[in-house]
Parts: sequence; C-alpha cells; structure tokens
Amino acid sequence: MSLLVLDTLTKSFGGLSAVDDLSLAVRAGEIFALIGPNGAGKSTTFNLISGLLAPDRGRIFFDGADITRTPPHSRAHLGVGRTFQLMQPFHAMTVRENVMVGELFGHTVLKSLPAARRDAEEICESVGLGHLLDRGVTALGLADLKRLEIARALATHPRLLLLDEVMAGLTPTEARQAVASIQGIRARGVTILLIDHVMSSVRDLAERVAVLNFGRKIAEGTFETVAHDPAVIEAYLGQDEADGSH
Amino acid sequence: MTGRALVRGGLLLAVLAAVVVLPLWVNRTQPYYLQLSINVLIFATLALSWDILARTGQLSLAHAAFYGLGAYTSVLLTTRAGLPIVAGMAAGAVVAVVAAVLLGVLTLRLRGIYFAIATLAFSETLRVITNQVRFTGAATGLVAPPLLGGHRPSQYLVILTILLALTLVSWWVNRSRWHFAFTAIRANEEVAAVMGVDVVRFKVLAFAISALFAGITGAFYAHVFLFISPLEAYSLAVSVGALVAPIFGGLYTTAGPLVGAVVLRAGEEVLRSTVQRGYPIIYGFLLAAVILYMPGGLAGVWASLAARIPRPARRGARGEPAGS
Repeated sequence: MSLLVLDTLTKSFGGLSAVDDLSLAVRAGEIFALIGPNGAGKSTTFNLISGLLAPDRGRIFFDGADITRTPPHSRAHLGVGRTFQLMQPFHAMTVRENVMVGELFGHTVLKSLPAARRDAEEICESVGLGHLLDRGVTALGLADLKRLEIARALATHPRLLLLDEVMAGLTPTEARQAVASIQGIRARGVTILLIDHVMSSVRDLAERVAVLNFGRKIAEGTFETVAHDPAVIEAYLGQDEADGSH
Repeated sequence: MTGRALVRGGLLLAVLAAVVVLPLWVNRTQPYYLQLSINVLIFATLALSWDILARTGQLSLAHAAFYGLGAYTSVLLTTRAGLPIVAGMAAGAVVAVVAAVLLGVLTLRLRGIYFAIATLAFSETLRVITNQVRFTGAATGLVAPPLLGGHRPSQYLVILTILLALTLVSWWVNRSRWHFAFTAIRANEEVAAVMGVDVVRFKVLAFAISALFAGITGAFYAHVFLFISPLEAYSLAVSVGALVAPIFGGLYTTAGPLVGAVVLRAGEEVLRSTVQRGYPIIYGFLLAAVILYMPGGLAGVWASLAARIPRPARRGARGEPAGS
C-alpha cells in the first residue's frame, strides 16, 4: 500500500526544469531515500510534496487522496511533516516553544497550552534536546539545530516524514545517533522519505533508493542495485562527485 | 509566588484607579489636561492595535487608512443618514475591518518593505480620493456631531473603555495559542505553514483586529474634535506615530506600545511647554537615541532590570547554568 504517490510531477523555473516527469511511490512504513547530485531537484520535490510549491503538471496523492491543490497547513494536518535543509528555527522562541507550534497547529486535535507544552517537552527529550528546553535558538549548535528540525516535524505527528539532509555536517558519532533516531521514528510507524548526501547513512537506513539527475529519475531500487547502475555512476562521475561511499 | 501576584494585582488596580480618576479630577481646575489625556489614549489605542498586526510580521503603513475610514464612515452616516453616533462608530469599525480584510488578502504575498509600501499606497489612495469627492466634503472636510453632547469627562471614559478592551485582547493574544501562530509566522511563514499554521487565516485575523480598533478610534476622534479633513484623518503622521510608539516602548508586547505612547506624547508636551521653540529637534534626538541604543525599547530595558533583581523561590527548576 503506497502512502505517497507522485504521478508525472513536473516543475520548472523560467524554462529550467527542476523536476521533470517524476513518478514515485513510497510504501507505508518504509524508509525511502532520494539521492542525486546537487541541483538534481530533490529539494524542489520536497517543496512540491509539502505544498510550498505547486507543480506545473502532474499530481500528488497522499494515502489515496489527491493533495495536489491542498495548502501546506492542510497537508500537515493530513500527516505530511518535514524538516528543512537550511535550518529555519523560529527566532524569539525557545526550543520548547518552537516544538509547541507543531503540537498546537500540526494536527487536527485541539490541544490546550499545558498539554502542548508537556508533549513538546516529551518530544524534545526523545531527540536529545531535553536539557535545552528554555534555550533560545540562536544559542544552538549545528547538531542541536538538526535535532530541533526533527523535533518540530515530529510535533506535527506526521505519518510521512520528509527529512532534508539531516545528516549533513554532523560528526560520524552524531550521524550514527541520527541514524538510530530515524530508525526509532520509523519503528513507531512513521514512513520516511529522506534526502541525503551521506551515502553510508543512506545505505544503513533506506530500503529503497531513487536517484535523480537534472530533475529526472534515472534509477530506483535497493541501495546496492542503484549503486552499481551505470547511469548512476555516470551521473555522479559526470559531476565529479564519485565519492559514493564516504 | 502569591506575594508577587498580589503586588502585581495591587499595582494594576492602582494604575487603573489612577487613569480613571486623575484626569476627571484634574479636569475641574485644568480642563486642558483632560483634553491631553484623551489625545494620549487615542495615540495609545493606535499604537497597541498597530502592534497586534506587527506580531504577524506585517509592518503596516496603513493605520491611518483604518483610522480615516472609521472617522469618515461614522461622520457620513450620522450627518447624511441621521444615524445615532454609537451606530456610526460601530459602522466605522465594521468598514475598517472590511477594508483591512481586503487589503490583507491583497498583500498576503508581500513581505517587509514591499508590504509597507503597498499599505502606504492604499492609505494615500484613500486620502486622495476623499480629497476629490464632494460627497465626503472634499478638501474642505466635514463637520461632525459631538459624542455625548461634547461632555469631555464622559468622552474620556469612552476612549478609556476602548483602550482597556484592546489591552485585554492584546494580553489574551500574547498568552494564547495565537501567540505561537503569530510569532511563528513572523519568523518564517513557510515553516509555519508546513508546521500546520493556517498563515492566511491568522494574518487576516490580525489585520481585522488591528483595523477594528483603529476604525473605532478614528470615529471617536471625529466626534470629539468635531471636524475631519482628508489631510488629518488619513495623515501619514497617524501611521508613523502608530509604529514609532511600539518601537520606542517595546514591540510585540502589551505594555510596550502603551508605555511608549504615553511617554512619547507626554514627553512631547513637557518639551513643548519647557523648551518651547525648537522642541521637535530635542524630541527627535531623544527618539533616535532610544531606538538606536535600546533595541528592545523601554520594555527591553525593564526586562533586563527585572532580570537583575534576584527572585527567590522561582517556580520549577530551569536547569540552566547561571549567566548563560
């Protein structure tokens, strides 16, 4: 059963096609990775799925329902949650308050402030931010900002979680913690679609991988199959980025 | 904890009693001060209602538009249609809200300076149109019937009631879920939307609340000063004043815009009577100094002072290292 289906999705910016005729199906409960060289259209795909961009053509289905024209906040209510590659914490808010926004607005259950506060604290604990609840976001380091991105997305109680490069810039230890954390989230029944450049993490996490290049899907399958696909090697070598195993 | 709450409650009651009684009492010997108090409260209402909109990140230069719409709607309805003044003022507020919702929807996609310029254009367009149309009195303006027979103390209580209602609304907004929506939208609209905040709804709601109070205050002003003209009712000075007071007093708070408005207007008056000639120069310098050297405004100064006073028996362990 597919939770998310992209049907011939196309989006171009001023003649340059960022996503080109992309079709994809993410099954409920799996971890699916979207990889590809820089500028391949991965982040644009995330923006299309979360509703920040409207496609020129094609449709998006979530849990069988067409959400192509659904506004972003309604998609969040349906269960589409996401993080941002460039961390975008709400300034003038503490860590706890940032997460509370998701608890208060991210789903259709109307929560009181104390309940949202308690649940936000619980989520912060679960991602390792429990000791930073009252901290302003400007005081956070990179790894904690990445955790905050995940915590905020979890606070919307997603059924599908889009993770946009949550490993980038982490130390190997932090990356391993993140992998464990993501596996823990999936174990609770959340389907995960992730973008990442850290191939070891993709290999450890993803059951299936799709490779994008110039907005087109050039390969799909297990990590092993796509890693040996000539078209994929070509795409990465062509970009002078043949370090598919760091 | 209860001690602090008692002190705060007592202080609040004392301030409330003072603002009700003092101007009325002073009026017996110095009626000018009652007039000044009414001016201060009009200014404070504009400042605080502007701030509520600003909490969603929308820095508007259209506050005069709602003020002017309120004033003109009420005066036209009371003089040309013979409506009672209360109904006129209510209609003024409604028209301001309708205009705000339209403007809010039209400017949804605009940010920062582009938003400010669009709202300024809206306000100026209203002024120019009103200036040309004979039905609205054109450049000459309109004479307005007096509110409550021109009885100043009663008029003072009316604007005080309006301001108290607005203060309650503002206070509630800042401690409800709305506060989280407003602050999230102000920080980043796209992230707020993805986290489930209905950005359009909250931005337009903020616009409506803001305009409601600007509109009713404009109508009040018309029926107290008994004459309105496009140049005064749609004055850019109204829009600028409405944003200067919150910046001066402390943005996005309830106390900041109120204190800012009172200090600015009272300070201007003190300077006017003591320095007399050239007082706007000193006023300008003081304003610039505060904005440059106190980024949080008066409220920011207050907060940092309060943080220095040790507070024993604070509820709940914060678990933060001292001095972080």
